[in-house]
Amino acid sequence: MKKSQILMIVGSLLLLPLFVLPLWNISLEAPQYPTALGIDIYITKMADHNEGDIQNINILNHYVGMQKLPEKMKEFELFPIVIIVMTILGVIFGFIGNKKLFLTWFVLIGILGCIGMYDFYLWEYDYGHNLNPKAAIKFPGTAYQPPLIGTKEILNFKAHSYPMSGGYIMFIGIFMTLGAYFVARKENSG
Amino acid sequence: MKSLTIVFLAIALIFSACGPGDQQPGSADNYGENTPKGQASVVDDESAKNILQIAAGSPDHTTLVAAVQAAEIEHVLVNAGPLTVFAPNNAAFTALPEGTVETLLKPENKKQLAFILTNHAAPSTYKGRLLKDGRKIYMASGEYIKIKRDGDDIFIGDAKILGTIDASNGVIHVVDKVLVPSKK
Amino acid sequence: MRNSYKYVALSLLLAAAFIFSSCQQSGSNNSGALSSSAAERSFVPPGEHDEFYAFVSGGFSGQLAVYGLPSGRLFKVIPVFSVDAEKAWGFNEETKAMLQTSHGFIPWGDSHHPDISQTKGKLDGRWVFINENNTPRIARISLSTFETDEIIEIPNSAGNHSSSFVTENTEYVVAGTRFSVPIPQRDMSIADYKGNFKGALSFIKVDPKNGHMNIEFQVLMPGFDYDLSHPGRGKSHGWFFFSTYNTEEANTLMEVNASQNDKDFIAAVNWKKAEEYIKAGKFKTMPANYAHNIYDESTHTATTTMKKEVRVLDSSELPGLVYFMPTPKSPHGCDVDPSGEYIVGSGKLAAALTVHSFSKMEKAIADKNFSGEAYGIPILSFDATLAGTVEQPGLGPLHTEFDGKGNAYTTFFISSEVVKWKLGTWEVVDRKPTYYSVGHLMIPGGNSREPYGKYVVAMNKITKDRYLPTGPEVTQSAQLYDISGEKMELILDFPTIGEPHYAAGCPADLIKPNSKKFYRLEDNNHPYATKSESKTKVVREGRDVHIYMTMIRSHFAPDNIEGIKVGDRVYFHVTNLEQDYDVPHGISMIGANTSELLIMPGQTETFVWQPTKVGVWPFYCTDFCSALHQEMQGYVRVSPRNSNIKLSWTLDGE
Repeated sequence: MKKSQILMIVGSLLLLPLFVLPLWNISLEAPQYPTALGIDIYITKMADHNEGDIQNINILNHYVGMQKLPEKMKEFELFPIVIIVMTILGVIFGFIGNKKLFLTWFVLIGILGCIGMYDFYLWEYDYGHNLNPKAAIKFPGTAYQPPLIGTKEILNFKAHSYPMSGGYIMFIGIFMTLGAYFVARKENSG
Repeated sequence: MKSLTIVFLAIALIFSACGPGDQQPGSADNYGENTPKGQASVVDDESAKNILQIAAGSPDHTTLVAAVQAAEIEHVLVNAGPLTVFAPNNAAFTALPEGTVETLLKPENKKQLAFILTNHAAPSTYKGRLLKDGRKIYMASGEYIKIKRDGDDIFIGDAKILGTIDASNGVIHVVDKVLVPSKK
Repeated sequence: MRNSYKYVALSLLLAAAFIFSSCQQSGSNNSGALSSSAAERSFVPPGEHDEFYAFVSGGFSGQLAVYGLPSGRLFKVIPVFSVDAEKAWGFNEETKAMLQTSHGFIPWGDSHHPDISQTKGKLDGRWVFINENNTPRIARISLSTFETDEIIEIPNSAGNHSSSFVTENTEYVVAGTRFSVPIPQRDMSIADYKGNFKGALSFIKVDPKNGHMNIEFQVLMPGFDYDLSHPGRGKSHGWFFFSTYNTEEANTLMEVNASQNDKDFIAAVNWKKAEEYIKAGKFKTMPANYAHNIYDESTHTATTTMKKEVRVLDSSELPGLVYFMPTPKSPHGCDVDPSGEYIVGSGKLAAALTVHSFSKMEKAIADKNFSGEAYGIPILSFDATLAGTVEQPGLGPLHTEFDGKGNAYTTFFISSEVVKWKLGTWEVVDRKPTYYSVGHLMIPGGNSREPYGKYVVAMNKITKDRYLPTGPEVTQSAQLYDISGEKMELILDFPTIGEPHYAAGCPADLIKPNSKKFYRLEDNNHPYATKSESKTKVVREGRDVHIYMTMIRSHFAPDNIEGIKVGDRVYFHVTNLEQDYDVPHGISMIGANTSELLIMPGQTETFVWQPTKVGVWPFYCTDFCSALHQEMQGYVRVSPRNSNIKLSWTLDGE
């Protein structure tokens, strides 16, 4: 088996850790929370970063009329299927060993990734803007949308949004498939 | 011009170097100095008088009070006690061999003086019928001294009790002899 | 010309630097081991933590206070033997059982000597034990929740003073009686005290897993007063030492009549031997009646079990169990040094400190070097066990602790000072006054093989003019001395709650990581716990009404209740649904004849309200919990007895 094929197969297999490792994390920092409150986002669920964090975020957010963090989302059903399909596809492409297929896979996952991020943005927007009109505390014109990626001040909180271990491994995998394409080109020309 | 400034700065530094920094106003040693006599430094004119205050107010006990001050054991006599103090009057001190009191009052004999004075104080309040004939009183010095009754007279060792004054923290028996400890 | 200016300037600067630094040096020499000021040494900046925990007995308050050292800041008063309306201790339905005794519910106690659990002779920071003097009891306090977990009553005991000290693996916590009494209790003349009254020394086994206490056996002793005690350690592990006074066996005007004997005793009890006697069946089982109260962290509820018997070993009949070491003049403190070799007896009326040697004691026992016997117990010859005496150290010696560097520190009540002296040479090294009339002193780990000899805390009985006056009753105090240098230095003076009888100190690092942040709701097994708002309800059982209520920022569920009638007994079973650090909620009801509840996250507590008046009565959250704390309130409608308003409960109209 060629080096490019191994890269392609291993790269696409690196999507699988997403089933056990979190993809993303949003955390809130404030003076009265010396340990930040955090949500770990998996492809199947949202979970406490530290015990009780989701409940505590919900309690704090209800004062400004924000919804509870969802326990169920259609994305949590869709994401695992997409990941499985893409992994299988990647492995098959790897065995075939065609560099064009490698690039196709890379582009495809790129598009899916963009759709995913856009979907995440839409959810964040709704979460931060769709407020209960009966909220106890209102700051007209203020939205509570967390940043897509990066850090942002929301009232007395500092909100951070960054990838987590599963996400980083996925990125490495994806770039390995791009590497597979270039290596394959070299192999062919050599 | 610059170097001149440095010269002045340097001189200023030398003079300030051993200034207030050296005195350490907040240092631990000073905490005790606010009240050098411990509890005896407490100012309180309202409470019933304690043993030290009574003795200090008695013209007959100036030598005893001077001795207590020289031995720096004032705080013992204001302690919660209760204490029984056998207080030799001035005449009792005068009756000692000549020069004894003067020698004891010297700073280098502070420890011996304190020991002699503690031979005049006992824990708990011994008065009235508690001064039973033959009862041995354990003094703060560690020695025992026997009570003797002879008719209406009460003796502690050889010293006769001339009078008794109640104090807030115990009792004072005025005695006519100094109770010299058997060991020195 | 310009250059020479520079040289002059430079040399002057150098000289200045030299003088400056040398002055500083001499300054630091004057002030002892550290050059920083006392204020700096006791200062813990805002937001930073203290180096040690200090658990300071609340004395006649019945409680235990938690301070930090070296700052002297008070963190918590743990309710132990006295009711505490602030924390509902003894007021809510869950904790009433903790204050049950064979005499019924007792709302007050007199706490004395805290001692921290040990493993292999070192502090392990798991539990702190403390004794109640008046109605003899021992409490165990968890150092993860900082709550009293268990209280056991001690039978055949009165004035439970020579308690509660632990052996070096916390095999036992030991409790000795101060007052001797008829055993078993009976109607008899007080004048017949002598020879008829007895003292009991109780060895309470501690379960190494959960800390649960059980009176394994009692040693029955002559009718003396057993004042203080300490365990042997290292080579003397397996022995326990008790100071005694009133060996005269007087029963009146004790201040005179119990001070007549030249020497009283330190009783050395061989508890390993006692275990053998128990195994051999040499005990008597005596009928008794004493309460054993355990607080269950999962049900958040205490239960009382009345125990009906106790095993007793008679010291006069069992050879080798107890020996007496004569000790001058009513010894009070009875302290064992970190090596276990020296036992210091502080004859509180004596002019000298007496130190016994454990190895000499063993030899005297082997040689049968006795000077007599008392009620069948051999009295060892005074000279045979004597290691040395500290001559004329001060007046009124009480207690001694050790720094682990070969020094001992003894308090003197009458001369009001702490005196530092050297073990082995018995010479006095330093003395510092206290303000005023010191009782106990404490070095963290001072009752273990490894003391942390950095600070000593002196606990004073009298303060007079030391603080701003507060009328006739003024505070008692603790004073902190830095003992890291050759001389002690007073660095802090701070007020305490009640009377600080004794304290136990522990490095913060041994306790801090285990401190619980909140109770997990899923582990809450309280029979009336309500774990979500959807499960809240109100249930009537005749005249009893049970409200299953929850609280979370910032509302109660339910918060509108109707259908309660005058004369009902209304149980508020309230669960705090929060799972977040430091978010307790409180609740109180207008006119309820009880205290508030202060409920930690994940906990359930209950109070009872018996409404006597028709009307609509509000309740509210008593602990400022959140931004909308003032909105955290609700109403109960109380109707006349004959009303037919139906029971209903709502939150937000649902």
